[in-house]
Amino acid sequence: MDQRAILDHQFVVAAYIITWVVQLSYLAWLGVKWRSERRNARTRPKP
Amino acid sequence: MKKLAIGLYAAIVVALMIWGYYQAIYVAPDDAMQGYLFRIIYYHVPSAAVAFIFFAVSLVGSIGYLSFRGNRPELAQAYDAWAVAGAEVGVVFCTVVLLTGPLWGRRAWGIWWTWDARLTTTLVLWLIYVSYLLLRRFAAGPQMQTLAAVLGIFGALDVPIVYMSNRWWRTQHPAPVFGGGEGSGMAPSMKAVLGWNMLSWFAWGVFILILRFNVERQHQKIANQEALEALESNV
Repeated sequence: MDQRAILDHQFVVAAYIITWVVQLSYLAWLGVKWRSERRNARTRPKP
Repeated sequence: MKKLAIGLYAAIVVALMIWGYYQAIYVAPDDAMQGYLFRIIYYHVPSAAVAFIFFAVSLVGSIGYLSFRGNRPELAQAYDAWAVAGAEVGVVFCTVVLLTGPLWGRRAWGIWWTWDARLTTTLVLWLIYVSYLLLRRFAAGPQMQTLAAVLGIFGALDVPIVYMSNRWWRTQHPAPVFGGGEGSGMAPSMKAVLGWNMLSWFAWGVFILILRFNVERQHQKIANQEALEALESNV
């Protein structure tokens, strides 16, 4: 592999990793928020 | 039954994501000009398309909220939940676009960023929807949802400007691949790979959109109950 091909490959890998880090971080944050809302709903006294 | 449907859909999404990745890395041919680097398109362009779709969901939610808030409050709340879910998931996809684009630009053009029409209008779109989310997070009172809905509608006006920007102003960003007139287009082998990745990212987006919508509905129910309790304790 020449230098140009190695760099191209690294940039593609970086772009794909960044995409998945952003998406999975958001999913994890949503999961935490969902659990916290459910806990709130459960601990509230029934009307 | 509901859990089974969610599990089945999640499995389809995962299968589509793996298939899309496999297609992008192992099946798509190298581009004649950009070689291997061109594969960034299979994550960059679908993210932009899905962001546009979810900003449109937010637009419909905002219009629905403003239309029904006076006479059908429960329906208006549901529309508002779609508005916030669409805006938030749209921002996530738009963030991906704004991060992967400069990476691609650095290798293809030699620069991370330039104040080109497409890049600038996309950044403005992202900033409008981030301000929408900040408004929802930090403003309080009965007018918050109305103000957010108005901002959501104005934000959506930037979507067609972003889409048309590289047709109206020919600067640094490449001309549109699809619908860009003579000379535009893509090899069928690449088009199929882009199609699979569009589908897989859209399916993923719908999954997190529905999850976000349900979180918001749950939040609204608790907030309504708290408001009712506060009213009853004052009587």
